[in-house]
Order: sequence, then structure tokens, then C-alpha cells
Amino acid sequence: MEKQGKQILLGNEAIALGAIAAGARLVAGYPGTPSTEVLQTVAARNTDGAIHVEWSTNEKAALEVAAGAAWSGARAMAVMKQVGLNVAADPLMSLVYLGVKGGLVIVVADDPGPISSQTEQDTRFFAAFANAPALDPSCPEEAYAMALRAFDLSERYGLPVILRPTTKVCHASAAIELSAERRPFAPARFEKSARWVIFPPLSYRRHGEIKAQQAQIGEEFSVSEFNRLEGDGPLGIAAGGVTYAILRDALMARTGAEDWPAALAALSLSVLKVGAVFPPPKALYRRFLARTERALVLEELAPVIEEQLLALKGAENLTAGVAGKLSGFVAPNGELLFEQVARYTEEFLLAPPVTVAAAAPLAAPPVAVTTPESEPAPLVWPRRSPVLCAGCPHRASFYAVKKATRGQRAVFCGDIGCYTLGNAAPLDMTDTCLCMGAGLTVAQGVKTADPQALVFAFIGDGTFFASGMTGLLNAAYNRADINIVILDNSTTAMTGHQSHPGLGRTVMGEETVKIDAAAVARALGAGFVERADPFDLPAAMDAARRAASHPGLSVLIFTAPCSGLFRPTLICRAEKCSGCMLCIREIGCPALRIATGVVEVNAALCHGCGLCARVCPSGRLRLEARA
Amino acid sequence: MDILIAGVGGQGTILVSKILAGAALLGGGRVRTGETIGMSQRGGCVVSHVRTGAVSSSYIPPGGADLLLALELCEGARNLPRLKATGAAVVSTARLEPVTAALGQEAYEEETMRAYIAARPRARFIPADRAARALGSEKAANIVLLGAAFAWGLLTMDEGSLLAALAQNTPPAFAALNRAAWRAGAEAARNAADDREVTG
Repeated sequence: MEKQGKQILLGNEAIALGAIAAGARLVAGYPGTPSTEVLQTVAARNTDGAIHVEWSTNEKAALEVAAGAAWSGARAMAVMKQVGLNVAADPLMSLVYLGVKGGLVIVVADDPGPISSQTEQDTRFFAAFANAPALDPSCPEEAYAMALRAFDLSERYGLPVILRPTTKVCHASAAIELSAERRPFAPARFEKSARWVIFPPLSYRRHGEIKAQQAQIGEEFSVSEFNRLEGDGPLGIAAGGVTYAILRDALMARTGAEDWPAALAALSLSVLKVGAVFPPPKALYRRFLARTERALVLEELAPVIEEQLLALKGAENLTAGVAGKLSGFVAPNGELLFEQVARYTEEFLLAPPVTVAAAAPLAAPPVAVTTPESEPAPLVWPRRSPVLCAGCPHRASFYAVKKATRGQRAVFCGDIGCYTLGNAAPLDMTDTCLCMGAGLTVAQGVKTADPQALVFAFIGDGTFFASGMTGLLNAAYNRADINIVILDNSTTAMTGHQSHPGLGRTVMGEETVKIDAAAVARALGAGFVERADPFDLPAAMDAARRAASHPGLSVLIFTAPCSGLFRPTLICRAEKCSGCMLCIREIGCPALRIATGVVEVNAALCHGCGLCARVCPSGRLRLEARA
Repeated sequence: MDILIAGVGGQGTILVSKILAGAALLGGGRVRTGETIGMSQRGGCVVSHVRTGAVSSSYIPPGGADLLLALELCEGARNLPRLKATGAAVVSTARLEPVTAALGQEAYEEETMRAYIAARPRARFIPADRAARALGSEKAANIVLLGAAFAWGLLTMDEGSLLAALAQNTPPAFAALNRAAWRAGAEAARNAADDREVTG
């Protein structure tokens, strides 16, 4: 294959370039860490505009759009994070039954830790549940190779294929040798056929076929370039995804060996690398279990490989002992970093798993690190949690509602986005947060069960279009007396400023319709719909009071752009501060700090929003033009 | 060589990582990086890992870093245990208090942090934020720090590759500022060649 030289690429960028090289004709997705850069990279590299790239309104829409293209014979890719697959679960489950014609790859990024997610769910389980083949890269280079190969696999078996990187592959980079070739688009034309119409008899037939295919795919995976059995020792370690790469570093460090085969020989190890994980490569697993007396399984999130090995062991009466999460040897939660991999490996090498105490679930993320003996014990440093940025309009919105409802028993339902950070002190304005769009509907349940409470639901503009409209319609239809606050900052901020239907432009920068959230709210049945500028504090508080006193559903839209969208022209200055600290205690802006008893403004962080100046009782915080 | 870059979300650790990786690649070496992308970018703790040579994963083992570049004092202290006992550190004396510290819920003990870092024989301090502010933008403090680390002889990449990677990874509009920041860092380091700390 012709090469075009090495480029340093994030795992997510590598997946995007792999899909482009494979001839993807359509890429649809919804932003979410750690998956976001995949679609953004396709858009950035789509200079001739040949690929249709879209931020869909949500993951369900993205997968269905991709399915339509694949049914027409085009190669297509849908991109999302793991909790996004929950939203797309409905089309996924049925899609495997109908199958595809053009290759369809579903990139679902998992987030062990979790680092930027609600759950530590495992998409490999979802793949098994849905009967979709799944690939799990160990490094950015392999992510590129898998993206290329996944389309072929999908077309050969007529099934959607899940490519499931984890955060430490998505956001790792490596110098990758790219293919200079780009596969031409397959001719696409929708051919009418009963195969695209799901009916119970078709589902019955396809269920049998899908299961038969799995044995075939498992055989292919046993000889896949992504799965390997290395070394030939009687002790076995199976490692999935990124954990394989970390295991290599840990064993090389442990042995000080010249190379990988020498490290395995020094420890009498057989290592099973699993990258093509579902359907399970049984023949390869059989060889692994046959040659090992006992085996350790190292994988993040769910014990998927471990269950596959145990099922095979049980079905075929194999004798190797298997230690992992199910046996209690490995903690069920959190990432498997170098230190955990090294520790579990050490314990496994030293003692039979049965004699080792079960690992307790980790109470806190494993951030504690070892120190050289000459060092004093590590000190405890102030925690630094993410916060709303200086100048963030959400801070003003939360503060206005907080002030307007002071003295009343109010419940504040939150949602997914930057504004989830409104939970932190001193704002303390997020009492619930479940999943995308749930704040609106949870609020309706709270109000029904607790009618005396004043109930607010906050949702961002991006999240409103993605998952909030159904909840608003439900509130109107079912006569819920709640107050919905749409925090319209004109972007999808948390994931890095993506476009959405309210902005009038697509991911490719084309102009398109600009959907007005206020008009949508009215169309969905809200009687009270108002807009207000959250930085005009008295007006914002008045609007919040009107919304609260309005009988029935009210929708208040606080409109001010995200501070990340413009350069500040103003700055706050503190002069002769009296040191009352009210500004810090009330709004908690990261640009405010205490210096020798008075408040000081960090000029590098201040975005000139002026909220602190409005809060200052003595007028000593003032907004000025920036020099 | 394993380099850990630590800072507060928004300070530009990822840019430093991209420049180091780009320079390593231009020099013909093998390189991997690992980034913090996500919620932490909103003022949380962020670290970037840069690894050159024959390694399989992008993430530096605990106590394994050869060099720590810290864009903020507390983050320097927090990540010091990730540095080898023999490792070098270049720590910006920039002080960014978490909101919880301003609220009085936690203490930001600057002197304790400095003493803890200074106990490492190869740790050096530089007021990178102040130097960048003097050039017109505190955002360039990451490049000041990088220039200082180079001038102190702590980077294995050559200057030509580093400056080329700097140009490749930053918008042309900021080229002059970034070059000035690099020079300011390098000059401050050279002027304080034998000192543990750049002052002024």
C-alpha cells in the first residue's frame, strides 16, 4: 500500500482518517467526551465536501441516518459516546436484525473512570446484547487499522460493526503511518426489498442466521490481526483494549528485558491480546486456556473477556483457573492504570488467585501514587474540581433564579452540560441530574409527588434540542406546573462548541434553518414563554419571579453567549475593597480571589461579565474597558 | 524520555504536548502522548503525557517521569510524586486558587507547596505567568515555560524542531507573541543558569 508519511494523531483523529480512507460516504454523530473529535476530524478533513458529515440532533437520529445510507449501499459511520448508545439503543437492537448493505461502523467511545461521563457502562456488553461484532483498540495505531477494517467486516457479514475505543485510546496520540489511498465511494442506490422492513417472521429467521454468523465471525477473530497469543508459558494473562499496551509497559519494566518475547519468557507467561472481542474468538481462547495452568484477565469496565473465557471453560470442561473481576481478584470499577496492572500482575505471579484476598471496589479514583523512599509522605493539596468559567452566563442565570426564589422551598432539577457544574458551592443550584433531557421530566415527577415545592428544571440549548423537547411536550400535555429554564448560550459548550439546530449553521459551516427555542416551546404547548438576559440581574430576577408565579408550565429562556465564543472587551477591577467577601460567597467566580483580606480580580481569567460588580454592596468592583 | 505537563484546565498543557511530540517526530524519533480532554478543561486539574522511545502505552507510570513541566504551583506539587527521584522539574510560580480555596473551604498553602517542590534537587521555578503578561498575554506562559526548559538543557529535542513544531501548532496571528514568549523563557533561564529560581 502506498504510504503518505507519519502524522501525530489522536486515537479519535486516527479513527476519522481510517473511515475517510475506507470510503465512508456519510458520518453522523452527536458530541460527547471522549468521542467528539472523531466527527470533528472528518468534517475538518472533508475539504472537497464529498462526505456528508452531520451533527445529528441526538444519537438515535445519527444511527438511523447512517442506517439509511448503509441500506442504500454507501459506507456510513455513526459516532457517539457510551451513554449516547443508550439513546440509540432502539435502532441498534433492530438494525442488527435487518443488517446492512454498505459497511456501517458505529463508533462508541467508552469512558473508564469515569472521567467525563455518568456511568462506567461497557459497550462490549451492548455489542453482545445486540449481536453486533465489536472491536476494541489498544492504541491509536490500532484504532486506525480497525477503522479501515471494520467497514470490510461489516460488508462481508452484512452487519453493523461497533468500534469501541476507550478514553485512553481516544485521547492518546501516536505517529501513525497513513494510507495514501482512499477507497472510492461505492455506487449507492436504494433497492426496494422486504429485507429492510422488520416484521416478526423476518426477525425469527434473522435471529437464527445472526447466531450462526457469530460462530463464523468468532473463527475469523481467532486468526485476526487484532487478536494474538504471545509467549508460551504456563501462566496466562489476557488483556483487552488499552490494557494490553499498559501490560506490555508494566512487564517490560518488571523484567528489564531486551524485548517483549524475552519479558514473557522471563516470567513464564502466555499473553492473550484481545482486540476483536465479540463474537469471542473461541479457538484462540481454547489454545490460551489449554496451555495455561491459571490465567489472569485484565480489562477495564465489565468482565467481558473473563465471562467469555469462563463460559468456554465451563462448556468444554477446561481446568485453567481464571482470576479477574468475577473472582474478586480485580476491582470492578475505575481505570486500570499502570500501577494497578503492575500490582495485579505481581499478586498473580506470586500466588494462586484462590489465596489472594478479594479486591474491594475502589472508593476513590486511584490517584495516589508511590513516592521514592527518601521523599516525605505526600501532602494533601487543595482539590481542584471543574467549575463554571469566569464570565459564564450560566452563573448569572443560576444566581438570578436563586435570588428570585430565596425563602421559598424550591427544587432545581439539572441536566447534562457545562451547567451541571452549577451544583458546586456557592451556587448549589443542581439538585438532580440523571441523563440528557431528564431534568424536565424528573421535575414533573417531583412536582406531582411534592406539589408544595416550587420546581425548576434547567437545560442548555443544545441539550434541549437533543433530548428536551419530548419532556417539554409531556409537561404541557400533562398539565405540569413546573418552570423550565433554557440556558441558551448559543453553543454546545461542554464538548467544545459544536453547532446545533438553534444556530443556523451545520458542522460543515453551511447556512441552514435556525430553530428558535421559544417558538418550539410555544408550539409544544407552553403558555408562558419569555426571554431574558441573565446579566441584567434585576430583569432576570423579575422574569424568574413571573415564571414561578405563573400557574402551569412556564418556559424562561436566559440568552447570553458562552464566554468561550468571544474575546472580552471589559474587565472588572476591585478598588478599595472593603473585604466583605460577598462576591466570592455569592457567585464563586474563579477570577476572584482573596489577597491579604481584600478581593482581587485575576485579570487573565476575568471575562468582564460584571456579575461581581452587580453583587458588590459597596460599588467597589467596577466594570471597565480593557486596556 | 517521559515528560509530564501539569496545569489547570485552560492553561494550554495540550499545546505544550503537541509541540514536544511534533519536535520529537521531526527529529525522527518515536513519540506518544496522552491528553486530558473533557470536563477537567473547565478549570480542573489537567495533565499531558509525552513519551519518546519504545513504549507501548501513552501514559507515564507513577514515579516514572524524567521531567515535570508545571504551569501552576499547586499542580506542580500535586504531580511531583509522578516524577522520578532523579527527575527535573520546571514549575511556574503562577498561583491559581481553586474556588473552594477562595471560599475558605480549603487552604492554598503557597509556601508549603514551594518547599515541597524545592526539596527536589533538580526542581526550578520560573514566574512564567508574569513574563507572559509582560509580553501582553498570560496565555503564552506555557511557551515561556517551554523556552526555559529548553534553555536549561532539559529537553532532548533540538531548538529548530521545537520552533518548527511551535509554528505548526499555533495560528500565524500569534507567531510573534509565541516566539517572544519562547525567547523570554530561554533568556530568563540563561540569566539564572546556576540558580534554582528565576526572579524578576
